[in-house]
Amino acid sequence: MGEKTHKDSPENPFEPFIESLRQQVEDQDPVILIGVIVALAVVVITCVFLKYFLTSKTVQSAILLVGLCDSGKTLLFIRLLSGKFKRTQTSITDSSAPYRAKNERSSSWTLIDLPGHDSLRFQYLEKFKSSARAIVFVVDSAIFQKEVRDVAEFLYMLLTDTVISRNAPTLLVACNKQDITMAKSAKLIQHQLEKELNTLRVTRSAALSAQDGSVGGSVYLGKKGKDFEFSQLPMRVEFLECSARSSSKGEEGEADIESLEKSLAKL
Amino acid sequence: MLDFFTIFSKGGIVLWCFQGAGVTESFTGPVNALIRSVILQERGGNNSFTHEALSLKYKLDNEFELIFVVGFQKILTLTYVDKFIDDVQLHFRDRYKNELEQKGTLKLLNSTFAFEDAFSELLKLAEESSKARSPVPMRSFKESEKSQKTVKSMIETKGGDKGKEQGGKKSKNTKKEGECCLLRVVVRMFGSLLHSVANVLQLLKSPKPQKPKEKQKRVWDNAGSSDKNLDYSDKNGAGSGDGEKNLEAQFDPRVQINSMKGDLLSVDYDSSENGEEEEEEEEEEEEVGGGFGGMFGMLKGLVGSKSLSRDDMEPVLEKMRDHLIAKNVAADIASQLCDSVAKKLEGKVMGTFTTVASTVKQALQDSLVQILQPKRRVDILRDVMEAQSQRRPFVITFCGVNGVGKSTNLAKISYWLIENGFSVLIAACDTFRAGAVEQLRTHQRRLNSLHPPEKHGGRPVVQLYEKGYGKDAAGIAMEAIAYARNQAFDVVLVDTAGRMQDNAPLMTALAKLIAVNMPDLVLFVGEALVGNEAVDQLVKFNQALADHSMSDKPRLIDGIVLTKFDTIDDKVGAAISMTYITGQPIVFVGTGQTYNDLRSLNARAVVSALMKA
Repeated sequence: MGEKTHKDSPENPFEPFIESLRQQVEDQDPVILIGVIVALAVVVITCVFLKYFLTSKTVQSAILLVGLCDSGKTLLFIRLLSGKFKRTQTSITDSSAPYRAKNERSSSWTLIDLPGHDSLRFQYLEKFKSSARAIVFVVDSAIFQKEVRDVAEFLYMLLTDTVISRNAPTLLVACNKQDITMAKSAKLIQHQLEKELNTLRVTRSAALSAQDGSVGGSVYLGKKGKDFEFSQLPMRVEFLECSARSSSKGEEGEADIESLEKSLAKL
Repeated sequence: MLDFFTIFSKGGIVLWCFQGAGVTESFTGPVNALIRSVILQERGGNNSFTHEALSLKYKLDNEFELIFVVGFQKILTLTYVDKFIDDVQLHFRDRYKNELEQKGTLKLLNSTFAFEDAFSELLKLAEESSKARSPVPMRSFKESEKSQKTVKSMIETKGGDKGKEQGGKKSKNTKKEGECCLLRVVVRMFGSLLHSVANVLQLLKSPKPQKPKEKQKRVWDNAGSSDKNLDYSDKNGAGSGDGEKNLEAQFDPRVQINSMKGDLLSVDYDSSENGEEEEEEEEEEEEVGGGFGGMFGMLKGLVGSKSLSRDDMEPVLEKMRDHLIAKNVAADIASQLCDSVAKKLEGKVMGTFTTVASTVKQALQDSLVQILQPKRRVDILRDVMEAQSQRRPFVITFCGVNGVGKSTNLAKISYWLIENGFSVLIAACDTFRAGAVEQLRTHQRRLNSLHPPEKHGGRPVVQLYEKGYGKDAAGIAMEAIAYARNQAFDVVLVDTAGRMQDNAPLMTALAKLIAVNMPDLVLFVGEALVGNEAVDQLVKFNQALADHSMSDKPRLIDGIVLTKFDTIDDKVGAAISMTYITGQPIVFVGTGQTYNDLRSLNARAVVSALMKA
């Protein structure tokens, strides 16, 4: 016996403690034992669940309709969902509805129409940007020339946002209001926006930091040293023309949103 | 009589509209203007708005996220409109409850709202009710009170009472004239009888205010009860030496000897943090104490859908209003903001596990962020480049009251512009204050030494255009701009003299300078320390610029420079006051007196500092 203990002690110095634990556990009432085991199991399961819920990525299934004020987002939203025409006013909250493209194979997305007014757009963008699978940027093609700097600034804000540049959702620039005769073509708008964003890269990086020291949007667009082009972006960018209001018949009649629907079906 | 009536959702879809007979213009424009200037700028306190020839009244339905707008000609005064909107709202809600209750917009899109007949009925009712109130006919003599009184009661005898049934007038024992004793006795008895009757009636009726019987000694809240405590003669006489020692002993523990030796300590933020912790602890204690008392009531309020009413929000809004005022937001603006938030939340259904306080706080925070977000693009460098491409200088004018930091911030802004490669001409249009021109010259010299001309193409980056003192500021500005155009300067910064907003001739002179020279940007420089004065300053400045401008589109203040931001800790309310009044963005924030102390505004940080307890 003495030799055994002598042999055991260098191998397993914790042996006496385990022995005493075992004796204590056996002494205990089995009901309490079961209770302790159940409690431990619950704690472990809760931890697993929490970990699963907290670290799971938000599912990206939203298509956001963004753009300046009066560019036709709400009417496009209505046309895509129901094909009807309704009068619209300036939106002050977002509207969302499930959308399924006409193509049979496509999955169901949530179409979200965000207000375009300057004081509201960033609040709503913050709310929805992480769940965006695609962003439809609506541009008023008729008055584009006057608004080109505002359009470019909004687009710049979108593209340099950290969340959006990380997720890289598809960007569809819809040049709306093509039914008006003076509307610019998608190619022209793309060209002008590339030039503006090129200039904005310089001025925005020189902008003042905020009063608490934070600098907004540290993502650099495109490649340094070369002129900015939309092909340099990590996300797929597509320019298309559409018209939420039909050209000839005024309010009634089909809207020309075929290209938009096709692109949405390709997602 | 009505021009139009629309019902649309907050998401922008028009559910139903009505256009009055003979009205051809679309109402989309005026309604959009209403939304942009009233609802989005949080001026929702009063519910009417005028746009050109139309007067618009609106009502928000926060439960179903709808907006009801009615428009009529400004010259008509229709009295039934307010009640009419309420009736229409209730009717519409009851009728279309099913369609409206769904959160998604699909049902809204697919359903048609055939509301015309109900609407025309309500309109007819409202119009008739306004006509039906005929003027009240005059009473005839028989109906009046005077015919009810007896002649005897109206006889005024000297020393007797006036026999009217009014609140007790004391019967005076006045001089008795030489009249019949019997008549006097009868009159006195009659008077006392009436007096007692009047007293009884007075007890039954609501009491009318009585004059005090005698002059009562006024009692103050904090006053002592007697004068004995104020008599220190005994103490002074007996133990004068002891008394002095006592006084010293009282002060000693507070003053720590040797703590002020050496350099002064810098301002640090530990004290404020401690204060915050104490406040939080106190709040928690209060909540725990109250919780047990109204536990079931609290639980009921937390769980389940409950719609907010004005009374629920009132105490929270009071607290928020005081909090905002404590943070240096102007008093009217704080109350207007709270009214607007109340209107936005009235009738809204709260989600589960949200308290009234948290909903109101969240709504207030959202509206503050909304106010501080600029309503137009603010990118000065881009605009300067645009002007550069058009071969004209970009003119910025600084105006404000005395001593806010115009010249200092002008120097900071010119430093920033030089760093970005533009050439700057400073126009010294402050021809009044002694040393103004020399101050700008010193800045010019320093800036040129920091960015020597050799590095920038041989031309000095900053030049000063001055014509000494006592000349007309508008003329100097015009010459400076012409000089800049000739010499191809990129930016002209015009420094004006500080002036009080009440000083009419000086305000006229400023308005003339701006109207004549048409600068690209008119910046109002305001210090962050200002409180309620900000409202007055901005309103009067804008007023003066609008009045003296001669054109139909006057140049008003385009932007605000908020200076001395480092002097306020977290009492950042001046930012809110200024943006709320003008609706213009804060373009620069000055945080010190060196050239690097120029920042831009971060709306979220300011709002969180404002809402911090």
